[in-house]
Amino acid sequence: MADIKTKDFSKASAVSILDPQLRRALRQVGTGFDAARRAAIDEVSPEIWDEWREEARRIKVHSLDHLDYYLDLLEQNVTKAGGHVHFAKDAAQANDIMGELVRTRNIKVATKSKSMVSEELSLNPALEAQGVDVYETDLGEYIIQLAEETPFHLVAPALHKTKEQVAQLFTDKLGIPYNDDINALAAAARLALREKFILADLGISGANFLVAETGTLVIITNEGNGRLSTSAPRIHVGITGMEKVIPSLQDLAVFLRLLPRSATGQGITSYVSMVTGPRRADDEDGPEEFHLIIVDNGRSKMLADPDLREALYCIRCGACLNICPVYQKVGGHAYGWVYPGPIGAIVTPSLVGLKEAQDLPQASSLCGACREVCPVNINIPRMLLHLRQKSAESPDPSERSAGLVPNLLAGSYTRVMRSPALLSASHKLGRWKQNVWAAMPFFPFSKKGGMIRKASLPLLSRWTRMRDLPELPKDTFRDIWKKELSKDKEGH
Amino acid sequence: MDRSLGVPKAEFLDSVRRSLDRKPAAPDPAYPRLLDGVSSLQEEAQRIRARINENRPALLDRFAEVAEVRGWNVHRTSDPENAMAHIQSLADSLGVKNAVRSDQEVFGQILVDAPLESTGINVTTVSHGPDRSREFLRSSIIAADIGLTGADYAVAETGSVIVMPRKGMSRLVSVVPPVHLALVRPEDLVESLDDLFLLRRLEYHEKGGEMGSYLNFITGPSRTADIEQTLVVGVHGPKEVHLVLLG
Repeated sequence: MADIKTKDFSKASAVSILDPQLRRALRQVGTGFDAARRAAIDEVSPEIWDEWREEARRIKVHSLDHLDYYLDLLEQNVTKAGGHVHFAKDAAQANDIMGELVRTRNIKVATKSKSMVSEELSLNPALEAQGVDVYETDLGEYIIQLAEETPFHLVAPALHKTKEQVAQLFTDKLGIPYNDDINALAAAARLALREKFILADLGISGANFLVAETGTLVIITNEGNGRLSTSAPRIHVGITGMEKVIPSLQDLAVFLRLLPRSATGQGITSYVSMVTGPRRADDEDGPEEFHLIIVDNGRSKMLADPDLREALYCIRCGACLNICPVYQKVGGHAYGWVYPGPIGAIVTPSLVGLKEAQDLPQASSLCGACREVCPVNINIPRMLLHLRQKSAESPDPSERSAGLVPNLLAGSYTRVMRSPALLSASHKLGRWKQNVWAAMPFFPFSKKGGMIRKASLPLLSRWTRMRDLPELPKDTFRDIWKKELSKDKEGH
Repeated sequence: MDRSLGVPKAEFLDSVRRSLDRKPAAPDPAYPRLLDGVSSLQEEAQRIRARINENRPALLDRFAEVAEVRGWNVHRTSDPENAMAHIQSLADSLGVKNAVRSDQEVFGQILVDAPLESTGINVTTVSHGPDRSREFLRSSIIAADIGLTGADYAVAETGSVIVMPRKGMSRLVSVVPPVHLALVRPEDLVESLDDLFLLRRLEYHEKGGEMGSYLNFITGPSRTADIEQTLVVGVHGPKEVHLVLLG
């Protein structure tokens, strides 16, 4: 499984927030991807868009509620078409299956089209350990493979890199002259990878959808690397999560409408490729063997939890990342594993455990924008709250996000807020303290516009390090209420 | 090798059922889009074809318009001579030396080989046989400057050309060469994705469950915006795509 660095979320976000280059790249996700998405929806009309979302959601609800049935049907139909289906309960087993396939077939070179599941499994190192040269062929994935990094975004993995950095990387790793023209960089990648496509004995792809009725694997791509990976080598292995199955071929239509528009604002991608088994006897070309590896790796736990099952409806469009105020500030790497952004803050703790990723559900203002843009209407804020509650109430302290002191403070806060007398008393005490401190020679507060910007006091200083604290007002709401009420009475 | 690796299917499905707290059973009520048999699909297909026939001129306009927006260079003509002249002048302006084409019905109507060969272009038809190995065809495709194909369907909703590789129709001809040219006949046209998938389902079930190994949507040139969200055309697939609409 991919290295889990989710525990470093706070530290990593503090670093990324200060990185001016990431600021620039992340500003673009709103102006680029999200603006394109909105324009695409306006073009079809928001009413029709909502109908599509509802239809897509109905399909996902039904598929996941009967997942065992549709996986069975899928397996039967892939087999009928001459393909092989392998089931893996976890990352290690999925990599073992792939290992066995490359060993028994003497695979030396593999080209790979984009697959988030393979990132989750850390498939590339596993293949390299078997002596296979693996080449990522999606331009963004190729860049991060050369840079030895992880994807920064679900749809645009190298979003954080400037063209100058890519040019330098290509010079260092491919030995070509420095040229930071974006067209020239794409052409260099085409040239470098074209020979790999010709050489490769194995093509690996993920799957956007699996159609149970026909046993078909569907990938939605723009560059053509997916077509080449599934067509040129003598063996094609599709590897994907078990949640990707949909019942009927006709169910695909709505997803082909929703996914490209949500991801990049395109009415449809350049290519949609549908693979059903290996090449038939008469075909001119295509792989001699087709294998499909279906991976659980923690998904059955999400399926079993009615509060988290919804996260399995995700079609990985990335729209929730592009709109998220937290993702727009901290970027993809701070999330510490494979799936960033709001959906990642649910999927990651669910797959790797709250113990590792208890901070991720906290990384949200719960503004609800992610739910609004989700093409399958996933209630992301609800699940974030659910995970926060699970974390706060966990008997295992390592699953809790906050330490002992904040928990004690939160406990006291609850008690105070429940008692009008305590609330009034603590306001008076707070006011008095605020006045005493304000009168002190070494003024421990810096104030601006009724907000305490910085408080150099224990506990309070930790709060004000990241955010402002409103000053306690002179009069409480209750005081004002009483005053106004008595004025009112005098007036009548 | 026919044996499954990893967890046996029964065990995997059992674990999924445990998560769902479900007994092995088909969905109840059955899923409507899986319920319809061949005869009801045939009826629906007839309605679809009648609708398309009635609106064909408008649908062709719509297809041409959407295809243009999605990046196809569209040339419309119902005259085979004009289509051939267009292809010839295109090949000429691109400086094509080697062309590959699929072996499809449409090339019986639009006879491209002779006019292209008359200008010194080497044309290879992709169809393997006893005298021509798959390896030979593959290297011809890799060497080609342009790939020509017909279309199995054309979708007005999306501006897509659908190709279904099989005998005579290579997977690689429309993706490996730097330029792809597709010939679309009016009868290839369907209105929407829903039409397309219903017709595909019908054929699948009529053939006793045979989908064909591959179906590809092609909509404009190969693209990426992976560096600084800046659009580049022609990464791994064709940079330039031409569509000759014969109607």
